[in-house]
Amino acid sequence: MPIEVVLLFAWMLVIAFLAFIACTFEDLESDMGSQSNPNSQVQLAAQVGQINRFFNKAISGEPLSNAMYCVTAGTIAWILLMQLEPLVPGEEWKAAVLAIPIGVLGAVVINIIFSTTSHCGRTAAMKRFEQPIYLDVLYGHLMPIGAHAFMTTFCITCIAYIQSNIGTLSGNPALDHPFALPLLGFIWGITVGSIGSSTGDVHYGTEREFQDRPFGEGKRVVYHGKITRYASCGIRTQRDIAGFCAKFGGPCTGMTFGLIILFTNWTTLVGMQLGGFLPNLPAFTAIGDMAAIWTIVLGLLIVAALAVGHLIFVKWVRKKCGPFVGE
Amino acid sequence: MTVTPAVIEEEAPTKKGLSFKFPPEETEMGIIAGIIGAVIVIFTGLPAVIKGVGLILVLLWGMDSVRKTSKYGLGTGVPSIGVLSTGYGVVGALMGLAVAEYGRVGQLYPAVLLGVIVMGVIGLVSGVISNSEKFIAMKIPRLERGMMELGMAGTLAILLECSIVTGSLNFNAVVNQVMNTGIIALMFIFNCFAMLHPYNACLGPDERRERTRMCAVEISGLICILLGFAQLALGTSPYGPLDAVSMIVFGAIVFAVFFWKFIKACMDEAYETVGTGMIKTIE
Repeated sequence: MPIEVVLLFAWMLVIAFLAFIACTFEDLESDMGSQSNPNSQVQLAAQVGQINRFFNKAISGEPLSNAMYCVTAGTIAWILLMQLEPLVPGEEWKAAVLAIPIGVLGAVVINIIFSTTSHCGRTAAMKRFEQPIYLDVLYGHLMPIGAHAFMTTFCITCIAYIQSNIGTLSGNPALDHPFALPLLGFIWGITVGSIGSSTGDVHYGTEREFQDRPFGEGKRVVYHGKITRYASCGIRTQRDIAGFCAKFGGPCTGMTFGLIILFTNWTTLVGMQLGGFLPNLPAFTAIGDMAAIWTIVLGLLIVAALAVGHLIFVKWVRKKCGPFVGE
Repeated sequence: MTVTPAVIEEEAPTKKGLSFKFPPEETEMGIIAGIIGAVIVIFTGLPAVIKGVGLILVLLWGMDSVRKTSKYGLGTGVPSIGVLSTGYGVVGALMGLAVAEYGRVGQLYPAVLLGVIVMGVIGLVSGVISNSEKFIAMKIPRLERGMMELGMAGTLAILLECSIVTGSLNFNAVVNQVMNTGIIALMFIFNCFAMLHPYNACLGPDERRERTRMCAVEISGLICILLGFAQLALGTSPYGPLDAVSMIVFGAIVFAVFFWKFIKACMDEAYETVGTGMIKTIE
């Protein structure tokens, strides 16, 4: 197998690994600041009288806010790359080593600004429920939120950079992605936010809130805010929750995103290989159709395997934990 | 366990909140921002700072429309209304740019306003269809006007940002310097956030319009900083790099002043601002 093809597969694995890290930290960041899905608990708690010491980070949903951080990082990195790359001809990676972290730092500053405004604004708008602004909660959560967002945005910007230069990095510049860095950051940000929003959230969703209830049972709305009040020892804050979720929820979310990226890219590359598209892109012929057909067939096989696996798993869970309430 | 409703009677305000009352009425705001924004869009040869002032006004108008439209919801729809507005904006801006060459006089592009008007009409029609008994029948008060203003404000904002970054409204220049470079993603997402974040962040029963507006101006300042950097990197300004630097300084000042004002207003108007403390015990 030619070295270009091996390098392409290697970079694809690097992208999948970075996606795993990114989505793990994305889920933990949303738990730390109670964004998106967990936010409904925090927003509701004060309204049903459960005054809490939680951070109310209501920066829209996760897809949009992550798109914003990644676009900011991508734009700043792109501007810096444009200035720095001519200084190191032939060794453009040196410019990226400097440009990407600076861009991500800019995105983290924006994240912290938006977190501050949303926490203060939402708490001030709940005046009649007697929810005070605790300054130690405000200051104490900003740095952890920023640190988790740094990891997410850094990995995503790296993925966007690798993708927009994947041909150059693996020795065949014709394979470079046609989109610019900020646009790729936008698309990847939306994706990582969507997966982080739909998966994970074990603290607010199922594991902790319903752990003393029969399998599959819901809870009365009046008890919903209680989850924000007391921990095993003392008053609960979100710094405990990140530790709780880092054991299962975060890595689970990361694995979801990493597997999605792995399967889609792997099928594409294998399809291109089987269709005779690699290592050199031929002029557009019927051979391109063969690459697409191989990709689709492989994708369908993976989907079928996953569906069968899920079916077996759900059957096993129902057998082990008993029927749902009401069945 | 019984949870008593924690609603207390409104007492006479002891502290007067920080106010930001320019212009006081929503209608006045729409007229002023619409006219000034349209004039600044047409005159593309103006310095970036003046376009920045227009951008702040237009985004304030957009934020007002988002507030008007999503006031009757539960709060989950606020981000989607902001994105809807920017979606209208991108389509309207492309339409305006496509006809920009007609009737052009030097650096004057009056034809781009066609995109604004068309988007206003489309917004109005979608508002009427959403509210009408025959179709979706959502019956949200003043939805028609809100949707119309969303389309117009979104289009004006995108056009102003294109005009800041490229220094003109030539279709080829915009495609080369805004679309191909990916800066359109930055414009899109920050336009969304300038319109949706203020109301989303201040959502709650005690939301106050003046306080929400401070947040909108603050985010507009951030946009001015980022667009200034983009302009500096592309080097497109007819006035040289000084134009972009003045834009960055202007944005930084606006951001700093209004961020401080917003946080101070929040802390003054919250139930209590304490360094630390225990939570209220419920029997």
